[in-house]
Order: sequence, then C-alpha cells, then structure tokens
Amino acid sequence: MNAITFTDVSKSYGDVLAVDSLDLTVEAGRTVALLGPNGAGKSTSIGMLLGLTRPTRGRVEVLGGSPDEAVARGDIGAMPQTGDLIPELTVRETVDFVRRLYPEPLGLDEVLAMADLTDLARRRADRLSGGQAQRVRFALAVAGAPRLLVLDEPTAAMDVESRLRFWESMRAYAAGGRTVLFATHYMQEADENSDRVVVIARGRIVADGTADQIKAGNGGHVVRFSLGGQAVAGLDALPGVVAVEVADGAALLRTADPDATVAALYRGTSLDVRDLRITGADLEDAFLALTREP
Amino acid sequence: MPNHIRIEALRMLRNKRYAIFVVGFPVVFYLVFSSVWGDGISADGARASAVLMVSMGAYGAIAASMMSTAVPWAQERRSGWLRQLRTTPLPGWSIIVTKLVTSLLLVLPSLLLVCLAAVLFQGVRLTAAEWLSLIPILWIGAVPFAALGLTIGSLLPGDTAQSAAMVGVFGLALLGGLWFPVEIMPEAMRTVAQVLPSFSYADIGRHIVAGSAPPVSEVVTVVAWAAGLCVVAVLTYRRALARA
Repeated sequence: MNAITFTDVSKSYGDVLAVDSLDLTVEAGRTVALLGPNGAGKSTSIGMLLGLTRPTRGRVEVLGGSPDEAVARGDIGAMPQTGDLIPELTVRETVDFVRRLYPEPLGLDEVLAMADLTDLARRRADRLSGGQAQRVRFALAVAGAPRLLVLDEPTAAMDVESRLRFWESMRAYAAGGRTVLFATHYMQEADENSDRVVVIARGRIVADGTADQIKAGNGGHVVRFSLGGQAVAGLDALPGVVAVEVADGAALLRTADPDATVAALYRGTSLDVRDLRITGADLEDAFLALTREP
Repeated sequence: MPNHIRIEALRMLRNKRYAIFVVGFPVVFYLVFSSVWGDGISADGARASAVLMVSMGAYGAIAASMMSTAVPWAQERRSGWLRQLRTTPLPGWSIIVTKLVTSLLLVLPSLLLVCLAAVLFQGVRLTAAEWLSLIPILWIGAVPFAALGLTIGSLLPGDTAQSAAMVGVFGLALLGGLWFPVEIMPEAMRTVAQVLPSFSYADIGRHIVAGSAPPVSEVVTVVAWAAGLCVVAVLTYRRALARA
C-alpha cells in the first residue's frame, strides 16, 4: 500500500493557483524530501495531506483512506511550519499530553530521548529557545508513533549543530520502517536526508528522483569556454547537453555527460574552443535551473 | 478527554492574570465591600454581607468562565497550537467540550473562596439546603458566560479577544447589578439589566440567601441565554476550525 497518493490535485486561492495538477505517489517506508522555493506550493500540499486544507480538485489519499481518516486513526504525526507551544506547560507535560491522544504511542522517556529533550523535560515552554521549541514540536510529531511523519521546513529556526542532531533524530525514527515526508528549501538537507527528492515549483512537480538522478538529469556538469564572437548554433545538439547559456562572450553548457560533450565539441564542430573548464554541478545548481521563473 | 481537561486547567492555574484578576479580585472586593456595607439589610430581608457574597461570587464566576475560554482559545487559534492539535486524533467536538468543562471547573476556586471569606470574616450563615442549592446553581449557571467567552475567542484574535472579554465581564457585572443594585440605576439601564443573563443569574442567588424560591422567569432567562449562546458558540467554533 502507498503511504501517500495525490491524484491530479489542484488548489487555488481566488485567482492564485497554489498547487497545479499534482500527481505524486510515495511508497510506505520511504523518506521523501519536498524541495522547492518559497511559494512553490509545499505548505499547501502538506496542508491537504494533513486534512487541514481541502483540494479544489483531485483526490488525496493517505495509507489507503482520506487524510481525515488517517489523522483520526493516529497514523499521522506532523510538525507544521509554524506554531507556538502552550507557554504555561512544561516540555514533559506537553509531550505527554499529545502522546496520550494516540492509540499506540511511544514511551514518554523514549520520545524525550529521541528529540534530545531529556534534560529540558521540566522546563516551561515559554523559557525555551527557538531551536529547543522546534525539538519539542518534533517530539510532538513522533510521540504517537505515527506511520507517516510529515515535517514542514523543520529546521527553519535551528543553528547548524541543532540541524545535524535533528536529522539524526529524524533518521532514527524513519529507520523503523516508517514513511517520512519533509518540505525544505535547503538543497543540502534534501540531498543528505532523503532517498527521494521531489522538486516542486509554481505548484507543479518539476523533477522527481534520487538527488543524484536530479543532478544528472539537469546537467550534472557544466562545460564552460570562451566563445568570443563565434556563432552558438548547434551547441544544444551536442551529446549530453541539456541547456546552453551564453553570457559575456562565454558559453556555458549544462551536460549529463561531460566526456561526450567535450569530445564532440572538439571533433564535431569547427569552433575555436579556448579556456575550457569543466565543473561538477551540485544539487543547488540543478535546483536553481529547475525552479527558475520561465 | 480527562488528559486534555487536566492540561487546560493546569495552564490557567499557572497563569498569573487568571490567579490575580479572576480568583483574587472577587475575594478582595468582597472583603472591602462587606466591611463597609456588610451590616445592612436588603429589601427582601437578607443581610448585605450575604447578598454581596452572591454578587461577588457571581462576578468571579462570570470572570472565570469568560476569561478562561476567550483568551486561551483566541491565542491558540492564532499561535498554531490548534493546527498542531488538528493533526492528532483528537476530534474537533472534543476540543470545545473540553474547554467548556474546564472553564466550569475554573469557576469553582473563585466561587468557593468568596463563600469561604463570607463565612469566616462576615459570619454569613446559611442552612445546609441553601448552601447546597446556591453553590451548584451559581456553578452551573456560569454556562452561558463560558459559551459567550468561547464565541469571543472564535471570532476575535488574541489581544482583541482579551479586551472584548474584559469589557464583557465588566459590562455584564455592572449592568447585571453585581456592583450596584439595579434599583439605583436610571430607568433605561434597569430595563437593559433585567434581560441580561448576569442579572437573572445573580438574582436567583439573592433569592436563595434571602430564603425565598427563585422566580421561574429568572431561571427561564438564564436557561434561554445558555441555550442560545451555546448554539452561537458551536456555530462560531465550527467556522474557526475550518479556518485553522
């Protein structure tokens, strides 16, 4: 059974189309990153997944039923993008309260340990730092041992050290065969912490695969050389090339196969190629190329 | 639900504003007023110290029920806590029922403290039957005010909800004759006062301490307000949930 199925889902707010005919299937047990710039439709999609927002068109299914059913069964744990805790309650009280709302929760001490909160258990929520509060919100999301964990930009308020520890906790939770979907606009986070990256821009999926596939599919490498006044015609037909840019007398070829591109550049064209450089693109380049406004 | 009620009650009891304005004020007002006017005898023959006990007990109950509903509910709608709760198996109806029940529990401290102060410092004595009707009636009679508080919390954002609840508490207390007897009010105000739930609510209590049966019309007024405001509270709550 699939953990998540979006079938031709659209959501509009007035004239604004936030999510545009989204089709997405996530198998149970996977960790999927939803990567996209701000305003891409990530939070709207997550809202529909959690049953907080109704799609304008299409159908969302979670673990074989509607999102509402999955939430009512205790199959979903979520960390929304923003949200304050109740200031007067301690970490322990807050986590224990949410934990007991679920039919088969994790143990309280286990949750606190997993979110690195054992030492903060007796502290009141209004005396926590931003990063600490985020850890409590992560604890609330996992406390009920949900089969599907949904995290919307979970590391937004964290420093580098907290981020590393956060993703360790997330991976520990996912390792139990559970499904995790997280939204982020940090390419590196998506690359390092998921086994599948879904890139979303302007409400549509623009790439879907492992981080390596996405890098390769969008010109995993960049071949750059001085073009001078020479014509650019035919560069986009070279083997491996997925995109060509010309700026300030330099040509920039995004390619999935730099060896073939360079060989063809020398043997197959009459261009005078100077200052040739080959660089590897990272996911960030791929991401920027994919999500650029047309 | 007991889990949720416990959490809701705990947060209010730890809230300084609740402790001072809602639990502390009615007792202090009672002690001050009763030391000045406590020895008087009211028109229907009750001692003023007992009538003041009803008035300040009623004021405390109105303040507790409205402040403990309107303010936290408005805040958690805005802060995202409601959104968090909506992703748990907690059903929507349970959230509002819990808030109503918790708010009634939070009425008890101020109500009982005022009665205790009346007994200890003013020597107010009622028969067991009178106590056993007065306290439960003032307690359950707080339902319309809790429903009004929830409505305010569903309609307004945090800060505005707090101001609106304060104005509501003082308006209901003042016009309901809890601070001054309605007899000394101008004709127009008196007409308004007598249709308010707070007037009928306290008037039932005043009849009990005077040893007479409360008029049916007052009971009907409170029950009608309770029913009407509960319907409004549920409707506005559903709208607020849909927008969470």
